[in-house]
Amino acid sequence: MNSKLIFKRMLHSKFFMIGFITCMLIVIFAVVGPSFVVYDAEKNSLTEQFLKPEWLSNGWQGHILGTDELGRDEFTRLVVGARYSLAIALVVTVCSAVLGTILGMIAGYLGGAADAIIMRMCDVFLSIPNLILSIAIIAVLGTSTTNLIIVLIISSWVQYCKLSRNNVLVTKKMEFVSASKCLGATNSHIIFKEIFPNITTQLIILVSQQFGNVILVEAALSFMNLGISPPTPSWGNMIAGGRTYLTTYPWLCVVPGMALMITVLAFNFLGDGVRDVLDPKRT
Amino acid sequence: MLFRFIMRRLGQTVIVLFCVSIIAFALVRIAPSSPARMMLPDTATDEQVAAMEVKLGLDKPLYVQYYKYISGIFHGDLGTSTQYKTDVSGIIANRLPATLELNAVAILFALVIGIPMGIVAGSKPGSVTDFFAVLFALIGQSMSPVWLALLNILIFSSWLDLLPSYGYGPLVCIILPAMTHGYPVAAQITRMGRSGMMDVLREDYITATLAKGISKRKVYTKYAFKNALIPIVTMVGLQLGIFMAGAVVVETVFSWPGLGQLNFQAVGNRDYALVQSTLLVTAAIIAVINLLVDIINSLIDPRITLE
Repeated sequence: MNSKLIFKRMLHSKFFMIGFITCMLIVIFAVVGPSFVVYDAEKNSLTEQFLKPEWLSNGWQGHILGTDELGRDEFTRLVVGARYSLAIALVVTVCSAVLGTILGMIAGYLGGAADAIIMRMCDVFLSIPNLILSIAIIAVLGTSTTNLIIVLIISSWVQYCKLSRNNVLVTKKMEFVSASKCLGATNSHIIFKEIFPNITTQLIILVSQQFGNVILVEAALSFMNLGISPPTPSWGNMIAGGRTYLTTYPWLCVVPGMALMITVLAFNFLGDGVRDVLDPKRT
Repeated sequence: MLFRFIMRRLGQTVIVLFCVSIIAFALVRIAPSSPARMMLPDTATDEQVAAMEVKLGLDKPLYVQYYKYISGIFHGDLGTSTQYKTDVSGIIANRLPATLELNAVAILFALVIGIPMGIVAGSKPGSVTDFFAVLFALIGQSMSPVWLALLNILIFSSWLDLLPSYGYGPLVCIILPAMTHGYPVAAQITRMGRSGMMDVLREDYITATLAKGISKRKVYTKYAFKNALIPIVTMVGLQLGIFMAGAVVVETVFSWPGLGQLNFQAVGNRDYALVQSTLLVTAAIIAVINLLVDIINSLIDPRITLE
C-alpha cells in the first residue's frame, strides 16, 4: 500500500485520529511529566495525609489531585506511575510480539514436527488463563519488575504465534516464495525477507490491540501486590492502596482507575483505527 | 468422521493436560526456597530441613518425584496444603461451587444485557441507541475489573446503599460480583452482536424477504436475529473457560469464597501445593469445557470435523 493512501485514510478515520492524539498526549505526559513534578512520588509527608483535590486553585504547585494515606501527592504518583505502566507495556508488547512471531513463522514455514511441538505449546498456554499463570509464576519466583515483565511476556506471546503461523501458511504457497526457493534462497532468507514483510500489517494491528490488554493485566497484578511493589507508584498499586479508604477518600481509587481507563480506551481506539486504516476489508 | 474427530480432540486434550501437569510440577521445583523449608518454622536447622526433604521424597530424582506426583493426581491426591494442613483436593472441591455459581450468573447477565443491545444497535447503525451501545462496549473492554469492582461498591453499596459489597449465601450478595465479572463479556457480546447483525442484514436473502413484503419486524426477529446469534454462541463457548478463571480479581475484591480468592490467598501464604493445584484444576476445567464446546459445535455444524 502506498503511504499517501494510508495517510489519507488515517485522517479520515475518526477512531484512529481520536486514539492517536490521546495516546500521544498520554505518552508525552508519561515521558516528560516526571521531570516537571514538584513533589516526590515516594517520600512520605505525614502532616499532609488525605488532602482533598485542590484542582488548579493553587496552580501547578498545589496538590492538584489531593494526597494519599502517607501524604504523597496523588498527581505526582499518577505521572510517575504512568511512566512505569507504559514502559512495561511497551517492553512486554515488543518482546512477546518478536518471540511469538519468530516461533509462529518457524512453525508455519517448517511444518511437521516443529509445527506440532510449537502448536501444542500454544494449546497448553491457551488452556491456562494468563492471569492464573502469571500469579502462579510470580508466587514462586517472587515479586520484582523483571519477573513481572517475564511473566507478562510468557502469557502473551501465543496470540502472535498463532497469527503469524496462519499467515505464513497462506503466504508460503504463493509463487514468489517458490521462485525464491528455485533461485536457491536459504530458509532464513525466505522466512525473514520474503514472508515476513507480508504479515507485518496483521502484526501491527494485533500489537496495537494487545497494548491495552497488557496494561490491564499489569494493573491487576500490581493490585494484588504481585507486580510493581510499593513505594514505587503504579496505577494498579495506587488503586490497591486506595481500596482501604474507598468510602472515606474515594478519589484515591477513582483517579488512578480513571487514568487507567482513559489510557486503555485510547489504545483500543488506536487499535481499531489502525485496523480500519490498514485493513479496510475487515470492518 | 465425527468419532475420529472426537478421538483426535480427546488426544489433544490429554497431551495439553500432560504438559500443564509438567508446568505445575516444575513450578514448585524452580522456587528459590525448597518446599521443605516452607513447611517448617523459620528456626528449623539444616538437618531438620534435610529430614523433611527425605520425608517428602524431595531427595529422589526428578522423574521419580514426577511419577509420584502424577500417580497421586490419578488417585485424587493433589498434595497437602501448608496453610490449611489438609488435603488440597478437599479444599478445592469446597470452593468450586461458589466459583461456578458466580460465573453462571455473570454469563447470564452478560447474555441478557449484551444480546439485545448488540442486536438493536446492529439493526439501526448510526442511531442514538447504537452510539450508546458502542460506548457501553468500548468502556467495558477498557475498564480494569479491579476498578470496576471498587466503583460498583462505591456507588451501589456505599452511596446508594442498595446492595451488599461482600457476603455469600443470600441472593442479593451475588448481584455486584456477577455484574462486575459479566460486564466485560457483555461488552464483547454487544460488539459481536452488532457487527453480526450488520453483516446479516446485508445478505441477499434478507433483501429478498423484505421484497416479498414480509414485515420488517418479522424479518429482523425471525430471520436475521438467529443468524447473528451463531458467532456469539461460538465465542461465549470458547471463552467460557478463560472467563471462569478470570474471577480472581472479582472474587478477591468482593470476598467471594471461590477458587480465585483461594488462589490469591495461597499466593500470599506461599502455599505452593495449593497454587500448583489451582493452576492444574483450572486448566483441566478449561480443557474439558473447550472439548465439550468443540464436540457440540461439530454436532451443530458438521463442516468443523473436516478441518
